[in-house]
Amino acid sequence: MLIPRRVKHRKQHHPKRRGMAKGGTKVTFGEYGIQAIEGAYVTNRQIEAARIAMTRHIKRGGKVWINIYPDRPLTKKPAETRMGSGKGSPEWWIANVKPGRVMFELAGVPEPLAREALRRAMHKLPMKCKFVKREVGEA
Amino acid sequence: MSEVRIAAEPRTEFGKGPARRARRAGKVPAVLYGHGTDPKHITLPGHELMLALKTPNVLLRVEGLEDGAELALPKDVQRDPLKGFLEHVDLLVVKRGEKVTVEVPVQVTGEVAPGGMLDQQLVQVALEAEATHLPEAVEVDVEGLAVGTQVLAKDLKLPAGSTLGADEEALVLHVLAAPTAEQIEASTTGEGEAPAAEAPAAAEGETGEE
Repeated sequence: MLIPRRVKHRKQHHPKRRGMAKGGTKVTFGEYGIQAIEGAYVTNRQIEAARIAMTRHIKRGGKVWINIYPDRPLTKKPAETRMGSGKGSPEWWIANVKPGRVMFELAGVPEPLAREALRRAMHKLPMKCKFVKREVGEA
Repeated sequence: MSEVRIAAEPRTEFGKGPARRARRAGKVPAVLYGHGTDPKHITLPGHELMLALKTPNVLLRVEGLEDGAELALPKDVQRDPLKGFLEHVDLLVVKRGEKVTVEVPVQVTGEVAPGGMLDQQLVQVALEAEATHLPEAVEVDVEGLAVGTQVLAKDLKLPAGSTLGADEEALVLHVLAAPTAEQIEASTTGEGEAPAAEAPAAAEGETGEE
């Protein structure tokens, strides 16, 4: 699973949820991709589940790119704990995904297979997504 | 490639308010520049422009300007990331017979040899060609290519009248060995079943900041 090797600060503020993706909004490496149409926190488990879902479906012959990285820690206080006594301990690693971001890319497989593989991967993700294809030749 | 005629209207109001009004009216704000001329701010019809831009490196004949029509190539296209609407277009003025460098899509045809997996590194390649005769694509035939074969930029069969504008040694595509069933199984099970306590444990790896 994707986890940062080392971080400067163990506990961070929650990432901002507003706004649109500033970059990474086009399919760049592969031929097909999954684009987020809503913003969400995507955990490393969800990223891994989506990757496995699409890799299992394409079996062999394809290549997968993951364009997001879960580099933001979220904390949680233990159950039945009184408020106060400092911030909880790190519980999840998340990628802060904004609308428009292409999160996964796929190449080397026919389009019907890619559509189905990415559809299965979309079910593992916490936001509405859409299938996108590479636009070739636009300036 | 033939020219696409498009009617332009000069733009006199600037900023996000007028630009949004123009977009609501089905027009696209654009700017036309090049050859040392002053930039001309124009609006273009949205639907016609969208259809024209479906062709890579389309040559536009922008009409309705004060000093006659100009030939132009799209230099930069800004789109809404979700809806794909055109938001703004930069057009570069070109002259007949002038050589320009453009990014041309690489089209792959055929199937590689069994057991191989095609890895395309360059989807577009820079070509230098006459502005009025720009190639639409560069074709690469990969039929029967064996594992380990590479196609470099210098190996491409360029369309007549165009020269390579990029590094000759740049890797366009190569054929890798397709992963075996065991490798796929290992990648889908081995990493996927990490222990639940892994996330906090990783966080302890950093040097203390507390």
